[in-house]
Amino acid sequence: MDIRLSLVQTMHRILAKTGRGGSLPGSLALSLDSNFIQKFKMPETVILVTGTNGKTTTSNLIAESLRHAGKTVLNNHRGDNLNVGIATLLASGSDSNYQVQADAAVIEVDELTVFRQFENLHPTALVITNFFRDQLDRAGEMETIIRKLMQVTENFEGDLILNGDDPNVIRIADNAKKARIHFFSVNENVVSRNITDEASEGKFCPRCGRPLIYDYYQYSHIGRFRCPYDDFGKITPDLLVSSVDYDRAVFRAEGRTFHSFMNTIYAVYNCAAVLCVMKTLGLDYQAADEVFSNYVLKEGRNEVFNLSKPCTINLVKNPTGANEVMKYITSQPEEKNLCIFLNDNDQDGHDVSWIWDAHFERLDDPLVKTIVCSGRRAYDMALRLKYEGMEDRIRVIEDASEAVRWLDDQNLESYIIATYTALHSTRAILRKEAKRHR
Amino acid sequence: MNLRILWMYHDLMDLYGDKGNIQVLKTRCEKRNIEVTVDTCTINEVRDITSYDLFFLGGGADREQNLIYQDLLKRRDQIREAMDQKTAFLLICGGYQLFGRYYKDQDGVELPGLNFFDYYTEAADRDHRCIGNIAVNVTIGTESFDAVGFENHGGQTKNVFNPFARVLKGHGNSYDSGFEGFMNDQVIATYMHGPLLPKNPKIADIVLKRALSRRYDIRELSELDDTIENKARDVMLRRLGVIS
Repeated sequence: MDIRLSLVQTMHRILAKTGRGGSLPGSLALSLDSNFIQKFKMPETVILVTGTNGKTTTSNLIAESLRHAGKTVLNNHRGDNLNVGIATLLASGSDSNYQVQADAAVIEVDELTVFRQFENLHPTALVITNFFRDQLDRAGEMETIIRKLMQVTENFEGDLILNGDDPNVIRIADNAKKARIHFFSVNENVVSRNITDEASEGKFCPRCGRPLIYDYYQYSHIGRFRCPYDDFGKITPDLLVSSVDYDRAVFRAEGRTFHSFMNTIYAVYNCAAVLCVMKTLGLDYQAADEVFSNYVLKEGRNEVFNLSKPCTINLVKNPTGANEVMKYITSQPEEKNLCIFLNDNDQDGHDVSWIWDAHFERLDDPLVKTIVCSGRRAYDMALRLKYEGMEDRIRVIEDASEAVRWLDDQNLESYIIATYTALHSTRAILRKEAKRHR
Repeated sequence: MNLRILWMYHDLMDLYGDKGNIQVLKTRCEKRNIEVTVDTCTINEVRDITSYDLFFLGGGADREQNLIYQDLLKRRDQIREAMDQKTAFLLICGGYQLFGRYYKDQDGVELPGLNFFDYYTEAADRDHRCIGNIAVNVTIGTESFDAVGFENHGGQTKNVFNPFARVLKGHGNSYDSGFEGFMNDQVIATYMHGPLLPKNPKIADIVLKRALSRRYDIRELSELDDTIENKARDVMLRRLGVIS
């Protein structure tokens, strides 16, 4: 019995009862004891999920699939992936002796703190979704992250579940000699391309520095590549998605058909990661497919609000995510208005230059009527669109409530793209606005 | 009239949206009916640098910088010749550093630069990384104006005799240095990303004038509507307390 732990647990219960989650108990715990996280006795299976994009969705899909397979699972489903969030999670899911009460823990970990959590949480498996250029002023260069991860996995003896189609990710396997390596991969399909204007990383072989040769790109630098000199990129996938049918939102793997929870290539990659985990743990794929079929994406991931016409909101954090969201929006066949909320608070990254690395020219589509620019850096966004020749379609409304009200008044379908800190405030405004239509 | 731009190592030195600078230069020419050719040049590619009016080199991560480094040094004589033939230069971050005497990394290893100018750069310890929004005052000829950008560099550049700008908020060439970048009649070199040119149309036009005057007798460029540009810049100047 530990008085600090019970204090933190009580605090969590009270907050949870009043409908307030949050990481306050975790901050308290860590301020009382900086080694708080290390004290927990972890369950038999501990899966950490990290990477640039798709962490929250992938870890939630894994957790749900494990539950459907009959396991009890502790997971940070809201994506509280920093120290305080993880401390809160562990306290809420353990008994008074720091013993975590679950068969498995599935924990999304921020790619910048994964090194520390690796030592704290003693994972049995590490899943890496992808590595893209992210908020660089926060993250430092991606190269630093990859190098550090190579260090911590050097002596790792568990399962490494890696995106076999990302040159930045498979580098980890080169250095992790003691781990059991499992690659997931997706075959060429209708969205695959022979050339790309999206890839910014992963152009060169990390072993010899020569250019990598791509058979095809799926999106950004994800695809089938190899180094002709040293065979970097020649992998044998443990889990291969052999084909994708976007018309029916299904894909084939392991000789059976699965449903995709969202009809995009990156969603198929998330599913492939989950299936690779299921295979590694020897669990039934059917459990995962049930989850894929019924999975509702979390807040701000293609979330729809019923205004005068449906309004769909998506979180974007970096050029790759923005590119994929824009592809999705412009693939929708109806006329629409857009609104982009660009903030530059701590969690968004102070540097908004990434908007110049993203392909906003994709929005130059006859079905896109007006693009409202909002948020703290609304004019930066407007300027970006101006330089794609969309000047006559831009409308700057800095205030978020006014921007949402304007969208609602147009009586047209709308899509909102929001950076991290704009997401939560905008969702609150959308909830309120939607109530007017009930 | 036509303008020839050479975009060096477009595929490697393209950190922090630096490609936006090219887009701005191109668009501002097109709006004035000036034809523009943008050619890219990567490692081992044959290009006659002396045939261009403007040479642009952006910043890159350490890994990319190491990849292009040898290739750039091999082109030194040609770059010298281009300078003699009045080519204009716009160099950002890593591009800026590489034109100086040397870059000394964290382990004390010294990479010699192109050595066109006297400044040199040394890696900083972790506590002295220059990072954040920056506001500066630029004076070129009779013109003086405020500009904004985002700086993000560990390298501390010293021994700069002709800085590009005076720092109003932020760090500049080195931690708390007070001065930003390097400039002479042909070269503008700076740590300012953002990217630099979209929110600072005056700098864009100065670069264009310098580049065009290599082959044309040009004093002024026609005015463009920069309302959004100025508003975006003023949002940052206001936030940094430079204007009210």
